[in-house]
Amino acid sequence: MTGFAARARALAFMRHAALVLIATALVLPVYWILMSSLRPADQIFRHAGTFGLETLVPMQLTFENFRFIFSGTFPRALFNSMFIGVATVTLGVFVNSMAGFAFAVFEFPFKRALFAVVLLSFMMPFESIVIPLYTLMRGLGWTDTYAALILPEVAGGLVIFLFRQFFAGIPKEIYEAAVIDGANWWQIYWRMTMPLSGPTIATASLMLFIHQWDAFFWPLVAASREELAVVQVAIARNMTLEQANWGALFASASSAVLVAMVPFLFLQRYYIRVVATQADR
Amino acid sequence: MNARWWVPFAFLAPALVGLAIFRFAPIVIAAVGSLFGTTLRGESVFLGLRNYTELFADPSFWSTVSTTLIFNLIINPFQVVCAMGLALLVERPTRFVHIFRASFLLPMTVSIALTSIIWAIMLDPTLGPVNGFLRWAGLPAQRFFRSPDQALGTLILVATWKGAGYWMVFLLAGLLSIPKDLYESAAIDGATGWQRFWRLTLPLMRRPLAFVLVADTAANFLLFAPVYIITNGGPNGATQLLMFEAYQAAFAHLNHGRSLAISTIILAIILAIAVVELRLFRPAEGSA
Amino acid sequence: MNDLARRRLLQGGLAAGALAAVRPSALAQQTTTLKVVWMGWPDNQVLPLMAEFEKRNPTIKLSVERMPFSQLFQALEVRLNARSGDPDIFIVDSPLTASYAARGHLMELDSLIDNNRFSAGGLAAARFNGKLYSAPFGSSMQVLYYNKAMFKAAGIEPPAPEPAKRWTWEQVVEAGRKLAKPAENIWGFTFEQQERPYQLLPLGQSLGGKALSDDGLKATGFIDGPAFVEAFTFMQKMYTEWKISPPGQFDPALTPELFGSGKCAMLLGGTFVYDTLKSKFPNLDFGVAPHPYFAKGKPVTPTGAWHFGVNPRSTQKAATAQFVRDMLSDDMNVTWFKLRPYVPTVKAVWQREAALFNTDLWRIAQSELDSTALPRPATPGFREYEDILRVTLRDLQAGGNVAQALTGAAQKMDRELAKYK
Repeated sequence: MTGFAARARALAFMRHAALVLIATALVLPVYWILMSSLRPADQIFRHAGTFGLETLVPMQLTFENFRFIFSGTFPRALFNSMFIGVATVTLGVFVNSMAGFAFAVFEFPFKRALFAVVLLSFMMPFESIVIPLYTLMRGLGWTDTYAALILPEVAGGLVIFLFRQFFAGIPKEIYEAAVIDGANWWQIYWRMTMPLSGPTIATASLMLFIHQWDAFFWPLVAASREELAVVQVAIARNMTLEQANWGALFASASSAVLVAMVPFLFLQRYYIRVVATQADR
Repeated sequence: MNARWWVPFAFLAPALVGLAIFRFAPIVIAAVGSLFGTTLRGESVFLGLRNYTELFADPSFWSTVSTTLIFNLIINPFQVVCAMGLALLVERPTRFVHIFRASFLLPMTVSIALTSIIWAIMLDPTLGPVNGFLRWAGLPAQRFFRSPDQALGTLILVATWKGAGYWMVFLLAGLLSIPKDLYESAAIDGATGWQRFWRLTLPLMRRPLAFVLVADTAANFLLFAPVYIITNGGPNGATQLLMFEAYQAAFAHLNHGRSLAISTIILAIILAIAVVELRLFRPAEGSA
Repeated sequence: MNDLARRRLLQGGLAAGALAAVRPSALAQQTTTLKVVWMGWPDNQVLPLMAEFEKRNPTIKLSVERMPFSQLFQALEVRLNARSGDPDIFIVDSPLTASYAARGHLMELDSLIDNNRFSAGGLAAARFNGKLYSAPFGSSMQVLYYNKAMFKAAGIEPPAPEPAKRWTWEQVVEAGRKLAKPAENIWGFTFEQQERPYQLLPLGQSLGGKALSDDGLKATGFIDGPAFVEAFTFMQKMYTEWKISPPGQFDPALTPELFGSGKCAMLLGGTFVYDTLKSKFPNLDFGVAPHPYFAKGKPVTPTGAWHFGVNPRSTQKAATAQFVRDMLSDDMNVTWFKLRPYVPTVKAVWQREAALFNTDLWRIAQSELDSTALPRPATPGFREYEDILRVTLRDLQAGGNVAQALTGAAQKMDRELAKYK
């Protein structure tokens, strides 16, 4: 029995060590961004080439960088990206889950071909389709509008694929029973399947939100005037050829990270709930 | 499942219309565009397969293809294994697990462009804190992205830093949906942890794993920002990936036909590999 | 005078109209909106400039998109590819004038620009096939910055600010070798832009090399000629043999940080670095000296910067013309200089702000502009040329045969330039 207990303890220790090491590696660069944003301009790189306490812990703190960016057009960019992200998620969860449901549950002509189209949609380099897309935006009159930034990103092949994988895992008998009970397909989708799909909806929301939060090139091409500029464009503006405002860059990057953490924390709490209910079983 | 004929199409319609207009149509236009060239004044000239034959005759193209294939052969399984490892580490509700989980998710909040900028600085041979640490520890400073031998490996690690947490989310969802009593009965039957993983967990994870593998394959073949921002395809072509070559053809060499040809080739490669991956992970019942 | 009178009349008329409570819709009919794609310079530098223009021209509204440098060219290419009237005005990196003009993306501006008001270099950078296609909004110049404290500690006499006493590259290397301690991460010299042709072509040009044929379509025999082979071999040794330069510093925003935090004794950089150093590193004791040259050659300095151009398909002919005239006017150019100090191309700025220019830095800059400045080669294929050369210059840092690398690059360039024949 001792051997077993010792082995279990060793495994637990290794598990904790791995968790700590990995967490540190993943957090360190983000910590560096946050910390640099609080440093005065001449301190940001001064202690980087050598290693000491100063490298990790700033001795002088300043909020000047944050004051600078929040007195400019950056808050607007934060708002824009938030709005675009939330709108895309709201529309996207419906549109994509419905399609995933169709692929998972029904048989219909051209199903394979249509699914191939779905897969294809995320396999083409964006740079090659940006020109036809832009021309399309011009034709629709959507350039310089939120529509150009939201609507093309609502339907996503990857998200459809995600929902389809999940829905296909629900046993057929459950659907059959519902049909026998006289439910129509919309009711089955809306009242039965979707409520079961919590984690998948959360994951899909995350994917859509991240995709929009990280968006850079398409918003630049389609709609980048001041009122519509997204957060990544605003962050990137801090680097020009002749100068870089590193402090402002890190401050805006930190702000973007902190704001993006909000949906993540929601997702976290959701997972905790799911895990808690699982553990009870 | 039986239903009136129009029901599945009703569910599909909004997404398919969106995909058709905003993705499929531009993709077809791009693929067709690879058969053309453009004059200085913007007129299209039909070239047939000339863009492709010129590519295939160019030795640097093939070297790019091999670099890309090597890159993907390493990074795809590596990222999936890492994601699986992370998911397993935070699956059980032990103390502080939500803090660890949050830390795994943190790289997702940083865009790939910003990730590239930050890691370029962190791994800078002169100003980077990583080399600062190595020097302090008495180890030799490394060139990382500036070394032809280390650049590709460093690229893999940086891309994994960003992606591991992201892919972990999908696998974690899959792990959490496996009923715990299955594990209990397996434990009662005398299965070891390792056996439980191979015989029980993995087969039940077929669908999430298929998803992650296909999606990750596409993402890695399309990886662009770190190459553009940090290495510019170098040093000495060590990180010259197909995606970057397509980009260079369009925006640096102003040869759109060539760029579209490379993009179409990338699409074909990803699709081919995805089909193989889906086959490999098809659930035994064939109900996928 | 005519313009001023007309503008005053317009403003007076509008004021009268406002006083008479003109219906808002009638007033709105007179406003046109210009879509401007501008560089992603900071809020506090661009917005006041645009506001000033709008104040002078109440009937013209500017819808400005400030695109970050990292993807500016690419986004512009997508926009211009659509061959529509959008944008009306866009920022043009001066050596790309020929590229845009050859592809029909720029409107001729000869009728709007009075040549006498501009520096010869500024005009040269704006010309393609003998006509002006971009508006010379600003230029640039490079000087040698050095760390006085490090020089004193090493007992080396620093370079003098007079162009007549200009240092040679050989002198730079000699001093650099005494100042550099690579093992301790202390360096002797660095270029601001370690990979860009803008920064490095002057080395070969100093030895008499020509970067490209006169018609701008042939690279073989020019960029891979003996002058550039020798110059770039010399450059390579700074990284490989003499070890006075930190290799792999390809971010031009980081090299001034190296210099400013005392990790590098000399920096060859633009006039902008001066402001960066003064504002970020106020305790740094540094001096400026002229751009080095090869002892057996002649001094050559890089120049050229951001122009802007008019989309020939723009539907707002009058408004764009007004934009060109106003932005190039003495007043607005002074405003621009005070917001973001590019080397002026408008001659009047030098005279009007004579007090500002009475420093070592600006005296050197003005002298170089008059005698040694050489803009980048004029070719419609500049984007291709620059991109191929960048990759080559990067790779040379690690070692390797310079002649072979340059010949390979020249062949690639010729292949890409062929489409402009």
